Amino acid sequence: MVETLNSLMHGFAVAFQPEVMMYAFFGCIIGTLVGMMPGLGPLAGISLLLPATFGLNPIIAIVLLAGVYYGAMYGGSTTSILMRIPGEAASVMTCVDGYAMTQQGRAGPALAIAAIGSFVAGTLGVLGLMLLAPTLASFALRFGPPEYTALLLVGLFVLAYMSGGSMLKTLAMAVFGLLLGMIGIDVMSGYTRFSFGITELGDGVGIVPVAVGLFGISEILMTAGQSDPPKVQRPTLRQLVPTASDLRQSAAPIMRGSLLGFMIGIIPGSAHVISSFVSYGLERRLSKHPERFGNGAIEGVAGPESANNAAATGAFVPMLALGIPTGPVTAVMLAAIMVHGILPGPMLIEQQPELFWGFVASMYVGNVVLLILNLPMVGVFVSLLRIPYAYLYPCILAFCILGCYSVSNSTMDVWIMLVMGVVGYALRKFGFDLAPVALGLVLGPMLELSLRQALAMSGGDYGIFLDRPIALTMLGFAVLLLLFAVKPLIFKGKDWRSKVGLDEPADS
Amino acid sequence: MLKLSRLLMLGVLVLAGPLFAQQFPVKPVRLIVPFAPGGPNDILGRLVAQKLTEQWGQQVLVENRGGAGGTIGLEAALRAPKDGYTLAMGGTSNLTVAPSLYEKLGYNTLKDVTPIINVAVVPYALALNPTVPAKTARDLLGIAGRKAGYLSYGSSGVGSMSSLAAELFKSLSKTQIVHVPYKGTAPALTDVVSGQIDLMFADLALVKPHAERGRLRAIGVTGLKRSPSAKELPTIAESGLPGYDIEPWFGVVTAEGVPSAVVSRINAAIAAALKSPDVLQRLAALGYEPLGSTPEQFAATIRADLAKYAAVVKVAGIKAEL
Repeated sequence: MVETLNSLMHGFAVAFQPEVMMYAFFGCIIGTLVGMMPGLGPLAGISLLLPATFGLNPIIAIVLLAGVYYGAMYGGSTTSILMRIPGEAASVMTCVDGYAMTQQGRAGPALAIAAIGSFVAGTLGVLGLMLLAPTLASFALRFGPPEYTALLLVGLFVLAYMSGGSMLKTLAMAVFGLLLGMIGIDVMSGYTRFSFGITELGDGVGIVPVAVGLFGISEILMTAGQSDPPKVQRPTLRQLVPTASDLRQSAAPIMRGSLLGFMIGIIPGSAHVISSFVSYGLERRLSKHPERFGNGAIEGVAGPESANNAAATGAFVPMLALGIPTGPVTAVMLAAIMVHGILPGPMLIEQQPELFWGFVASMYVGNVVLLILNLPMVGVFVSLLRIPYAYLYPCILAFCILGCYSVSNSTMDVWIMLVMGVVGYALRKFGFDLAPVALGLVLGPMLELSLRQALAMSGGDYGIFLDRPIALTMLGFAVLLLLFAVKPLIFKGKDWRSKVGLDEPADS
Repeated sequence: MLKLSRLLMLGVLVLAGPLFAQQFPVKPVRLIVPFAPGGPNDILGRLVAQKLTEQWGQQVLVENRGGAGGTIGLEAALRAPKDGYTLAMGGTSNLTVAPSLYEKLGYNTLKDVTPIINVAVVPYALALNPTVPAKTARDLLGIAGRKAGYLSYGSSGVGSMSSLAAELFKSLSKTQIVHVPYKGTAPALTDVVSGQIDLMFADLALVKPHAERGRLRAIGVTGLKRSPSAKELPTIAESGLPGYDIEPWFGVVTAEGVPSAVVSRINAAIAAALKSPDVLQRLAALGYEPLGSTPEQFAATIRADLAKYAAVVKVAGIKAEL
């Protein structure tokens, strides 16, 4: 413990060097701007910036990238809340209630709670990372394909709790998402499915263009279809600040979201995107007024945003403790230090204490910088809504196209986004909820891959899921969730669902 | 009239050919890296670009265009104007494996590509989870031979270098090892470390730190020569499987039809860069082995590997579409 504290002090000595501080600050600002760009999320942000770090020293490079990463997560929630444009899969849930709050003129509190939630989650995450990294990392390694399959099944059953209204419509949308996830090269056999001879579709349909299209573009189309333009908002200062009851309602979701997100985040793989979905489902289930969700419930912003940020920190646990890149983001970070000839591995902490502890300390610094940067900026961000829609929306559309294209210089992504915009518009006109599409698209390919990997490992024997304690426990939990979901169908009892109104299209 | 002016143009071009090459480049050059940032292809590409920029005083811009195993970016480079201002990082995978893997590939390596220089070998190692009771390739073959389908190997995808390395191992030794493909090297290697799967062929640079800590056991390198960065590791060929040879390399190519004077100028510039101490130091730190061939040597390597991987793909029965 004392040793940890000493090391941390050493880390702060590194992090407080003016040059390191400056880059951490720059990183946060660049990240916030990148995150606010529609279609550009944390992963795209650090991938685009990675080459720029090759000329810097490794500590500064990783501090800068971490700043961009966190900044983009903060920035991503800003566009989700203000314009219903998710910068990445994890902020899809923030779009739902965050944007509903914006429409009620409560963008300020939504942004503030997102920032506070992210700060709390980030700080708790760093504490967990510092104190528990080695222990947790070896636990995380027990997650193989069978465990992953079970975890993703839990994620899939959470769908049942995710949206209000008709279960049939929710499932239809989930299946639509799963089907979209089928497009592309089958990892197990190498054959391409449903690509219609388009080479670019071989790598599958990315979640970001789909999410931006379904949520952002469809919103632009919806607004264009209204006979009266929406009123330009001029919130007063008082309306920008969260009320005491906002803070009270958000406290528990923030704590739950942080814990949940951190635990999901340490698991190797890309499962961290489901943390925000699971948190949303959990908050809705625990709430005494589930009908408020989807209509501007502040818990629906606080929980997922915290879970998202805690998961981001959690993902650094195996990366730093074992030198294993567990997801795309950590892989890019490790590449940044590899370029300098530092090979990531289990000895990273011992061989590069300055790098490790400087990085940890810079995460504390980065979180504080972002909170300071974001809270006063809430007013500025909200002022964007003062721009008349006739000017604002064409600009957003242009930025969506620009952002989508720049991720991998692919016009295919832009087309996917535009087509999904039209599809999203049509679906919303018919009263379908779109979040399950996003979750289906995220979960589908991961679930298929890990299921088939698990079966390849066992030679086709499904017993592999029952032999492994972690997988078995989680499958049990999934079955329990399923039973809860079908209970009202069997017993025709009064379900919380009956209290929930349909997510009506905005103009009806 | 038209004909005359065309003739004149042609004359000017012929005369200006060598002159044109001497002045090359007069504007920024694009170097397409057909993978996402962060991998060996990207690291080498950026190193080359940085050195060329210093030498030429013209920007050499790296453009990452990932997708379809490095074929989309390469194809884009091959379709660019044939003036030498668009280069691409090619590798064993997109130049020599993809043609036998994909039925409908948008380019023909022998017809559409002008090889410029082979830059470096990125050595592969065979890594085991330490619980597998094998200290050499021979031990491993013993285990695999006794029980077909008992061992499993991870790869970064069907048709990737890591899967072909394993398939060649299987076909030469006539053993059965179960293939568990992953999306990328990192998740596969993670599962070898944690013991979900038994072994994997992966970049030596990624394997080495884990092997030093005992979380992985490296039992051999895949090439015909030992790697200077891990001299204690035998080759797989010398430790139990004669004839085994997988050597992934990365080089710079451009479209067919680029004037040979321009090609030699680029070749000379990169060859010089590969001799500079800072580049050598960078490559050594990562365990990459600098090559620096002539265009003709590079072309010969490509031809040889095309034939080699066509055979591996055929024996393994891998067939992919695009």
